[in-house]
Amino acid sequence: MIAVNINGKEVKLEKAVTVLEAAKSAGIIIPTLCSHVLLEKYGGCRLCVVEVEKMPRLQTACTLMVTDGIVVRTETDAIADVRRGILEFLLINHPLDCPYCDKAGECTLQDLVEKYGPTTSRFREEKRKVPESLEDPVLVRNMERCVMCTRCVRMCDGVQGASAIAVISRGGHSHIEPFSGGKFNCEYCGNCVTVCPVGAIMSRLHRHSYRPWQLVSETETICPYCGVGCTLVAQVRDDVIKRVVPRIGTGVNNGLLCSRGRFGYEFVGHEERLTTPLLRKNGDLEPASWDEAISFVAGKLKEIKDSHGADALAGIASPRCTNEDNYVFQKFFRMAIGTNNIDSTARLGFAGAQKYIENIFGQGSTANLIPGLANADSVVVVGGDPTAINPVLGLQIRACARKGGAVLTVGHVKGLRYFTPLEMPSSPHMETALLECIVSALREKKGLPGSNSVLEGKIKDLNSSPDDIEKTCGVQEKDFSRFTDVLAGSSTPAVVIGKGLVQSAEGGYKLFLACAINYLINGRIYLLTERANEQGLLDMGCAPDLLPGGRPVSYAEFRKRYETAWKGEISEKSGLTLFEMIEAAENGSLKGLYVMGENPVFNMPNSNRVENALRNTDLLIVQDIFLTETGKIADVVLPALGWAEKEGTFTNMERRLQRLRKAVRRDGKDDWKIIAGISDLLGMRMNYTSAEEIFAEISRVSPIHRDLTYEEIEKGNVIYPYKGEPLRGTPGEIMTHRSEVSGEAGKLLLRLERPLFHSGTLSRHADALTNIYPEAVARMHPDTAGRFSLSEGGRVRLSTSLGFLELPLVIDESVGISDVLVTNNFEGKGAFSVMDYTLDPVTGAPMIEGMEVQIEKGVTA
Amino acid sequence: MEKILLRNIENPESAHIGEYMKAGGFRSLPKALEMERKDIIEEVKKAGLRGRGGAGFPVAMKWTFASADPKFPKYLLCNADEGEPGTFKDRPILEKIPHLLIEGMAISGYALSAEYGYIYLRGEYPAAKDILDRAIGQAYEKNFLGDNILGKGIRFHLSVHQGAGAYICGEETALIESLEGDKGQPRIKPPFPVNVGVFAKPTVVNNVETLSNLPYIVEVGGEAYSKIGSPDCPGPKIYCVSGHVEKPGVYELPMGTNLKDIIFTHCGGIKGGKKLKAVIPGGISTPVLPPDKIDCPMDFVNMPKHGSMLGSGAVIVMDETVCLVKVCYRALKFFEHESCGKCTPCREGTGWLRKILGRIENGEGEAGDVDLLLSVSSNILGKTFCPLGDGAASVVQNFIKHFRQEFEVHISSKTCPVQGLNA
Repeated sequence: MIAVNINGKEVKLEKAVTVLEAAKSAGIIIPTLCSHVLLEKYGGCRLCVVEVEKMPRLQTACTLMVTDGIVVRTETDAIADVRRGILEFLLINHPLDCPYCDKAGECTLQDLVEKYGPTTSRFREEKRKVPESLEDPVLVRNMERCVMCTRCVRMCDGVQGASAIAVISRGGHSHIEPFSGGKFNCEYCGNCVTVCPVGAIMSRLHRHSYRPWQLVSETETICPYCGVGCTLVAQVRDDVIKRVVPRIGTGVNNGLLCSRGRFGYEFVGHEERLTTPLLRKNGDLEPASWDEAISFVAGKLKEIKDSHGADALAGIASPRCTNEDNYVFQKFFRMAIGTNNIDSTARLGFAGAQKYIENIFGQGSTANLIPGLANADSVVVVGGDPTAINPVLGLQIRACARKGGAVLTVGHVKGLRYFTPLEMPSSPHMETALLECIVSALREKKGLPGSNSVLEGKIKDLNSSPDDIEKTCGVQEKDFSRFTDVLAGSSTPAVVIGKGLVQSAEGGYKLFLACAINYLINGRIYLLTERANEQGLLDMGCAPDLLPGGRPVSYAEFRKRYETAWKGEISEKSGLTLFEMIEAAENGSLKGLYVMGENPVFNMPNSNRVENALRNTDLLIVQDIFLTETGKIADVVLPALGWAEKEGTFTNMERRLQRLRKAVRRDGKDDWKIIAGISDLLGMRMNYTSAEEIFAEISRVSPIHRDLTYEEIEKGNVIYPYKGEPLRGTPGEIMTHRSEVSGEAGKLLLRLERPLFHSGTLSRHADALTNIYPEAVARMHPDTAGRFSLSEGGRVRLSTSLGFLELPLVIDESVGISDVLVTNNFEGKGAFSVMDYTLDPVTGAPMIEGMEVQIEKGVTA
Repeated sequence: MEKILLRNIENPESAHIGEYMKAGGFRSLPKALEMERKDIIEEVKKAGLRGRGGAGFPVAMKWTFASADPKFPKYLLCNADEGEPGTFKDRPILEKIPHLLIEGMAISGYALSAEYGYIYLRGEYPAAKDILDRAIGQAYEKNFLGDNILGKGIRFHLSVHQGAGAYICGEETALIESLEGDKGQPRIKPPFPVNVGVFAKPTVVNNVETLSNLPYIVEVGGEAYSKIGSPDCPGPKIYCVSGHVEKPGVYELPMGTNLKDIIFTHCGGIKGGKKLKAVIPGGISTPVLPPDKIDCPMDFVNMPKHGSMLGSGAVIVMDETVCLVKVCYRALKFFEHESCGKCTPCREGTGWLRKILGRIENGEGEAGDVDLLLSVSSNILGKTFCPLGDGAASVVQNFIKHFRQEFEVHISSKTCPVQGLNA
């Protein structure tokens, strides 16, 4: 115990902290510009000077560690004089443009000058002038307001790990450059904006559109984008979100955000939002009243059910919608319609992968805490770039590397390239062999732990020897040994699995190998997901084989429990999966499809086939916030309230339940309310009056959500398995079938880029994100481009058996030599239009990645 | 006094290892390798050797701290970033007798159990870079450096790292940052380099001249060494004298030689028989002295008693033709240029001071400007991250303290009474 006297107050501390922190813990605020709780110590601004007895000169509170018995004074006349002197220095070159500056009102410099002075200027010379810079798509820089606290640099370097900015030049010429303009590797996270104490770096999105004190309404909610589930605060003026900020000390993200979270909110209130229901009349979608639209939907659903049976209908749920929406959606299908034909785009990989992993390690085995990654002693990454898919999770891996943990990647992971990863370069064709060799090597080095005989049987069967590793896997023997030695020697390892693994050839088998690695090193698994509530929708039972709480439909015992609660009968027949729905629509057996908050025509591979299949139905209902590609071919389009406009909960990838709150008012209906209206007409009353009421039902019905309340969720840290009962059955048969490998080595392969800045429907309508990443491009290694005489910016035609895409070329050294990267984010240019798939026999996920592609110079100018 | 450090300096081939050895060089290293490491440190302690970079920190104490730290490897850095205006005392060692430094570093490296040494050489000494590289090559050939020095199983590797022209990199933590490849800015202390230095390992940073004393200390023993010069800070000292003296140059004299004697005896007095106006005794950041205050022994202990500091021992002599406002302006221009920009008072204050001084020198000063200078400099003094800002502030304060009248005349007469700024 350390006892410190600060301003006459006795402060007791468990461990040595800085005087600044010690004072803060006693409620004494010492002014500072450069110190920040998220950042490394710096000691540059000199404002935090304090008097310490028995020390000869003033000390900076942010750098001085407390020792037992020290006596500190933080506010004396002498200190005030020094602070006034420092502030005078800061002001000599600081423009006094507070009336114009957006920071005014929440500017630390302004507040400090108000407190300490000076009130007049003794500086007669010209101030340093730096013109305002709008070079950056999301930031506005007024560097003449910069006080050189370097918080932004320390944030960018030491926390975000992008290292996109630095202090250039020195002394009075010091300035911070460059942000982006593509020159460096800015990740547009805007975390520099969070820490800038003055008006030097601000978001461009809300420039000159409010004063901080006019942001009267603040709503803490959860990010709509990825599965990390960052806590953010939407600040609102006149029912418009003016900005989104993180809150330090709150949420999984603790003050950090990524570009999507911080800058991606402009879809809320976007002018293209759907406002009224649309009904197809004489071939065109025309506005209709709610009554008309809902009776049409109910009538058609009934008609199809009556003439073709309930199984001629299906629903696609949404990873963008809340747990409550999804719960009501599946209940509607199971009870009002009478079918288990409910699925979602989780079928593209997440659902199958999770089921497979849980089959081996038990339910909840992917529910691991994200901040824990930073404390792992090694992190293995397979199947994607966590810093792009789940950016704030990616930061934890970077933090792990910074703390001395080993980062091991199978394949090249661009976002970790500056974090001294041990990299096993891998092409899709060698990945399986490489993973097999890793498993074999670990089996030799670690031995079998003996806790899972089924899995061990499979591991024993592997007979890959790492002897000819260079030939079979394309990696150097010494690199391989180092990689496996580090893995074998780690005591708190984590395995991060991206969808790219299961969406590539032999995906299911590779997932088995990843699980085998995890088993041998006794790691924790993180299954990445780019959708905010992908986990939640599965937990809500939006799957053809699972009831809420992950209970299998096939067990009568489980069905019975829900039948009692729901007062009806649940079909014992497992429903159609997403892909089976498409097939059923093609062959005419599926007559009606209800799509909530999803865009299958765009978000599923071979999108033309999906479109034709959906056109083949008699009834296509699309419920969304924008008129998507799927909406455009629908018979009826129902406009829903979106993120920030409604209440509810999301479940993130750690299976943390978090509250989504309404930040702005908008006329319209929640997804669940629309469904309830239809259900009423079909004769099943749904009397919910609020999302909370629905959640109350969930907590009664779903065994894993038992007894949870909003109140409890709001307190935070509602972490799996809550108070519930996860299924902990003994593992059954572990499937290890190998799928067929399409394409051949040496051929160019089309692969998916999963960019940091986009997610699809939402990001497309977030202007800031489209400004950062405005159009679809093809990425290639310079050697590949050279082979085809293609140059940066030129157009390239990518042809597959499904058709072609013409895109501008971006040359990128981080792309594999045999790969061509395309995104599936831009209207009319979706990679999925030319990417075909076959389904993996193990996970049921489409193997999309690695289709053969021909490239040639584009023909259009 | 017989030259000790610079004993072979007149030999035109002195930089060659053969000539160095002919003059008795590389005899201390084998002797040192026969000694216990702690005994070498003990001899240094007995010798009373204090760092010659300017601060005068006891070398043995620094070494003891680094030796006591259990972390390995340890590093020995030679601070050859000789950038203090007026200072050129290390240059003759670097360019003329590099092997003295190399031998000193090899001995020190052994004493400290450091296996790696770097000479951080100021970027503006390109000739020294080549000379040192050549000399280090020769030392490797003779097995004075390497994995198995003189077959004793001792390892010490040495290489030269060139700075990029920043004065602040003479500050040891900034030097370490720069050596690591980062921007040269001082680090927060503690931890001190002796515990967490370069690459986060225990690191000793010593000046060129300091390390060059090691062969002699080993040769004669600490006891005998301590008899040279001032009893409180003994040893030979290299003074470098510039400005208006008849014989400017580098002088190796016993520590504590009287400043007056340096100027009037060793350097032959003021050039052309003019009147002495001011002396900066230890490099630009040490307080200026008027002619009536220069009767003082030039060492770490006595100079502060006489209102200045020994600093690097760089004596700048100015005669009556010099405008001291201009000198002050020029000094501040230097500090402004060299301020690293990390802390507010130094970054903003040095430039402001320079601007005020510039307008005074240009005849555009206003009543109150001298007080403004004092006020601004007192807002810097003691508030900066490292001593660079203190140096800048104290230059202004001391020039005004001794020569306030000259500043006031500039302001009242609206011109420089001595010479125009651009003359």
